[in-house]
Amino acid sequence: MNMKLAEALKIVQSAPTDAPPLQVALLCGFTPLHLETFLRAQLCKLFPGRFPVVQTGLYGDLIGNLERVADVSAAVVVMEWADLDPRLGLRRLGGWEPSQLQDILSEASRSCDLLQNAMAAVARNIPVVACFPTLPLVPVSFTPLARASEFTLELRSRVASLSAELSHIHGVRIVDPQRLDALSSSRRLDVNSDLSSGFPYTLAHASALAEVLAGLVLNPQPKKGLITDLDDTLWRGILGEVGVQGISWDLDNHSQIHALYQQLLHSLSASGTLIAVASKNDRPLVEEAFAARDPILRETDVFPFEVHWGAKSESVARILGAWNISADDVVCVDDSPMDLAEIKAVHPGAECLLFPRENPQAAYELLERLRDLFGKDKISQEDGLRAPSLRANAELQHDMEKASPGAASDFIRHIDGKLTLSSQKQPLDSRSLELVNKTNQFNLNGRRFQEAEWQNWLNAPDAVLVAASYRDKYGPLGNIAVIAGDLLNVNGVNGDSSGKRRLCIRTWVMSCRAFSRLIEYECVRWLFAKLDVEELEFDFLPTARNTPMQNFLQQVRNAPAEPHCRLSRAQFMQSCPRLSHTVEESANG
Amino acid sequence: MAEFESRLVNCFAIAFPELAAQEIPAVSMGSLASWDSLAGITLISVIEEEFSVSIAPDDVPDLVSFELILDYLQKDYLQKDYLQRDCLGRLSPEDAQ
Repeated sequence: MNMKLAEALKIVQSAPTDAPPLQVALLCGFTPLHLETFLRAQLCKLFPGRFPVVQTGLYGDLIGNLERVADVSAAVVVMEWADLDPRLGLRRLGGWEPSQLQDILSEASRSCDLLQNAMAAVARNIPVVACFPTLPLVPVSFTPLARASEFTLELRSRVASLSAELSHIHGVRIVDPQRLDALSSSRRLDVNSDLSSGFPYTLAHASALAEVLAGLVLNPQPKKGLITDLDDTLWRGILGEVGVQGISWDLDNHSQIHALYQQLLHSLSASGTLIAVASKNDRPLVEEAFAARDPILRETDVFPFEVHWGAKSESVARILGAWNISADDVVCVDDSPMDLAEIKAVHPGAECLLFPRENPQAAYELLERLRDLFGKDKISQEDGLRAPSLRANAELQHDMEKASPGAASDFIRHIDGKLTLSSQKQPLDSRSLELVNKTNQFNLNGRRFQEAEWQNWLNAPDAVLVAASYRDKYGPLGNIAVIAGDLLNVNGVNGDSSGKRRLCIRTWVMSCRAFSRLIEYECVRWLFAKLDVEELEFDFLPTARNTPMQNFLQQVRNAPAEPHCRLSRAQFMQSCPRLSHTVEESANG
Repeated sequence: MAEFESRLVNCFAIAFPELAAQEIPAVSMGSLASWDSLAGITLISVIEEEFSVSIAPDDVPDLVSFELILDYLQKDYLQKDYLQRDCLGRLSPEDAQ
């Protein structure tokens, strides 16, 4: 349902003017008019704590607007055909003669080159959300409308090439026309409006487009894990009733939608999403089904299996424990509304989605919804390590529990932990920012950053960034921690310029997969040694979920964590347990 | 028609949030500094959306006060109402049901 203009104006007018501004550039060649209003309204909805300010440029000068953009957190570029050649718009008369078509193509190619360079230059500093022509082409070609002409095909091909080229550039997010088609299926071009004011969109189209654009500005973090039921969800049939050979996921048994669901889950697993099973079933029967029927979702894709006859909410609680994440980060899929309601009652943060077993169309829409919830910009090395490292963690915890009480810390010293630290600030490491923006538990203050804000901060000469990766005998964990702060020279008491230095840590996150290995202590030891500081100051703030960070600060300082609390080198030396990691600095650090 | 006027007051309140409700019926382009061409386009778009009408571009320059817009919309509404009755009147009672 599209937002109405009146609703958008009300949202914009009620935005808190005293909130921190969110500066976004809306760059287009037409009059932005209602698109600006809708975009501001959508940004207000998606960034509730911010006051969105949308900067616009000059009419008819998209490339110039790109070149002039400055002091914004993101740029939204909306291109239409007239930006490639004014003859492709309604407000300029350059001629639509057949003899001119080749010249229009040449001009469009030149414009594509200029736009590519301009957008790539902007994307070096801030995220760029780009949308390519959404309006129907004017009737410039000589063929009937139903027949695609060489000219229109060639023109669309050049735009597609531009779009593909830009998609390779870090920081560029391109609107998928398929998504826009789904949201904006009605008439898009408003000829009256274009001729009278230079704004070419119908309100419905502007509203839908703004929704998609704002979503890409936000670029939400994907959910981390999916918990699936088995019977009539992962496969068709009740395993306990029809037996291992009676369940199906194929065309012959009219159960292909379950195969597609498995295929999606397997793909999500390969992309770093955690997959678990919560099923009311007999465990041996489920093991037999996975072994004998070889489903598309492999047994190795799943960790853990919670298969028993207890409440589903108990299974979910154990899975969250094994994954060490909160309910807010997971999606539960089940064909039973009752089981979903029971999970939701105990874990209100979990997103609970019904698998509509009798309705393949609705089930297909569920697959699309899941892809949206777990969609990510790119697949990183850590995505491939996540599930194996959780399994390894479970193994490590099991081995630690087997060790006698008090011997746990000794045990940690014998797992061959190797910590690699890098203090390189350029080029921007998107994985570090991603970790900062998605980590909740070992997180100094819960602060999140826009990409431009993060980059601007790190550009300061005294800003320090440390990224840590880790491996031990249980396997690699990949990049697991980020520390960022500002180095300060501190004058001693009574104006004594002692030259002592302090690191004010503004952000510190560590993946929950790296807990219980004393890595946080090793990081602090490295900071004191490498940066030659006498004191650390922590820009700490309690959050609903950062108890592990609070506990660490309490232990290392022997005092409760509080905003701007400090830790001296001497204090740390007293509280630090014996460490035995191998520490390396990366070659580019 | 009171409801009609009230809906138009709401449209003005959305386009010109600085106006008090009681000021709106007397407002005109000449009396309101913020009613510039851009605000005028926004107002007309909000009205078109609210009343599901399409205002002809030729008519827009004449719609420069609350009173004139109200008058325009009422005429448009009455015309549509007349056409609808006229059309229904030609149908047989069975078809009309």
